[in-house]
Amino acid sequence: MDRFRMILLEVHNRAIYEALCLRFEAAVKNQKPESTKLIIADFDGIIYHLSNPNDDRTKLCLSILLHFYKDLKEHGADELLKREYGSYLIDTPEADYSVSLLFDLTNIPEDWKDLAMKASLLKRNCFASVFEKYFEFQRTGETGHKTAVIHYRSDETLFVRALEDRVTVIFSTTFKGEDDIILGKVFMQEFSETRRKYQQAPQVLFSYKNPPAELNDTNAIVGENRGYVTFVLQPRHITKQASDNTINMISMFRNYLHYHLKCSKAHMHQRMRSKTNDFLKVLNRAKPESKTKPEDRKNIHGKIMRQTP
Amino acid sequence: MANLTRLPPVVIDNGTGYTKMGFSTNSEPQFIIPSAIAVKEGVGVKPNRGLDDLDFYIGDEAMNAPGYSVKYPIRHGIVNDWDLMEKYWEQCIFKYLKCEPEDHYFLLTEPPLNTPENREYTAEIMFESFNVPGLYIAVQAVLALAASWTSKSVLEPNLTGVVIDSGDGVTHVIPVADGYVIGSCIKHIPISGRDITYFVQGLLKDREVGIPPEQSLETAKAIKEQYCYVCPDIVKEFTKYDKEPNKWFKKYEGINNITKQIYSVDVGYERFLGPEVFFHPEFSNPDYTESLSYIVDDVIQNCPIDTRRNLYKNIVLSGGSTMFKDFDKRLKLEIKRTVDDRLKQSAELSNNRLKPQPIDVNVVSHHMQRYAVWFGGSLLASTSEFYEKSHTKAEYYEKGPSICRHNAVFGVMA
Repeated sequence: MDRFRMILLEVHNRAIYEALCLRFEAAVKNQKPESTKLIIADFDGIIYHLSNPNDDRTKLCLSILLHFYKDLKEHGADELLKREYGSYLIDTPEADYSVSLLFDLTNIPEDWKDLAMKASLLKRNCFASVFEKYFEFQRTGETGHKTAVIHYRSDETLFVRALEDRVTVIFSTTFKGEDDIILGKVFMQEFSETRRKYQQAPQVLFSYKNPPAELNDTNAIVGENRGYVTFVLQPRHITKQASDNTINMISMFRNYLHYHLKCSKAHMHQRMRSKTNDFLKVLNRAKPESKTKPEDRKNIHGKIMRQTP
Repeated sequence: MANLTRLPPVVIDNGTGYTKMGFSTNSEPQFIIPSAIAVKEGVGVKPNRGLDDLDFYIGDEAMNAPGYSVKYPIRHGIVNDWDLMEKYWEQCIFKYLKCEPEDHYFLLTEPPLNTPENREYTAEIMFESFNVPGLYIAVQAVLALAASWTSKSVLEPNLTGVVIDSGDGVTHVIPVADGYVIGSCIKHIPISGRDITYFVQGLLKDREVGIPPEQSLETAKAIKEQYCYVCPDIVKEFTKYDKEPNKWFKKYEGINNITKQIYSVDVGYERFLGPEVFFHPEFSNPDYTESLSYIVDDVIQNCPIDTRRNLYKNIVLSGGSTMFKDFDKRLKLEIKRTVDDRLKQSAELSNNRLKPQPIDVNVVSHHMQRYAVWFGGSLLASTSEFYEKSHTKAEYYEKGPSICRHNAVFGVMA
């Protein structure tokens, strides 16, 4: 797994984790708490706000804003967060935010590192609810629920659907810029191709411009720069043991895809630069030796004479 | 309340040693990591297969990656390897800041006297690889000036002043008039944080025996950061220490990395002698004798005459090595003395018939000094004017990378 660390993105938010660790550690060592006011963004237009509620420096409030939280709420996000965060979750989130966690700096547990890690997974846990719910549907054989629709970005949507023998997760994604469309297409083809080598991996389908047939009953958008990625998750992916990892991977997929698009572009630029350098070398070699200037002639007084052109 | 309809702009300050990055509106950067990248040697030359182009680490991870070679894409503040820089930004954005570059405006920094071509390269990478919606490239010195607006001693925000930027490697004195750097008058001083550390280390080496040799630099650095300050007069300071040693001498305790035993070090005169190097560089470098205050005065005297008064009025500190207590007071005192002497001389030359107007000298110190550049960027990027002055993606595709050659000054100018 470690070999792939560089290609996968971390699920937790590193900035939040570091900020919390710093403050928890100071609290555990009984240092005077400093005032905190941080705004940190994350993928999918998410904003975290870390602050001291009512200027009380012994309390730390971590709020998250998800524009699509109401979509998640329908699928039991609240219950899941309650389960994960327990007493840290506060009932009425901070104004303008979706979910708030409150930490009392005078009462930080021994394992504060785990707590910080847990808190920095807030976004992932918000996402997890919808997957957990539909995985559960599949396990218990409850089919026939309507497709879950999460508008996770203003122009991109996530669909989750439970069927008798599988759960399908469909991403719609928009590519900005023509290069991205083409790169995205190639990338996805490669992706589906590579998958065949790994029997245990879920089936991946990619469709371009038009949404897959499963989404006919939803108002999925058709367009030039749209791509639809379908993951077919077999029951073995969504067992209780495997589901956490599946959720981690799936919820990061969109960002992972775009990250790699950017990286492949960067890689191509690099190749282009080195090619340009090579060509320049060739050109410079081909340059004819500049003829040495004819020596300036001097007249009898020692003055330099130049021919006027 | 921050504007939640728009995601905060990303501010990245790529320095020679460290990269500071974070989201604007915050008062401190989210990440400060070494500007180092660790790559497998040979990658990029031969055609790559598979994942080789992703096989690299940045920042602290780069420092402890075995089997990789560590490279610094930035030399003397200027990017010299764009391939590595592009990769570096990849991870900065996706791994550290975890943001989708298509959603955020970006503010990047450049050293004074950066070439316009470099700005074009930056624009190319940002707009074409990362699809950013908007980009602004700010001069570090100007951002440092903007950062000083938080200080109480600044009455009205303005972008004229002298920035003394002292990091670990080198100290620059940069005059800025109305947001534009007066490039011909910039001066560098070969005295900076590292020299002070070496100087303190030297003093300790002569006297203290308990320090494990391999930790002596580390100890000197810790002592410098914890105990050093600037004194108004060395002679008086010496007598003060001799009279009341108990009050002034401190004890530093460190732990030996190998034996895990505690060793203690007496901290004495180096408390004020360390930073004194700025004012008497001959302490540490016998070939160089011009003090910081002299250089600052000289820089201002070289500047256009109509800016000089304003430059004296606003001397701004930036960078970690200007954090010593009372650094600002001492500098002000010295510069004031030079300036007053000069005025007196000119009065005498005219047989006291001309009374020159006294010149106001002011050295600004503030809390954000350590990350002044980043903080200034964060401050400017959180204004609505930032969005107007940034270059947008549409503009880039219309006109090409040359639009980034010029970045309009903003902040206070009408």
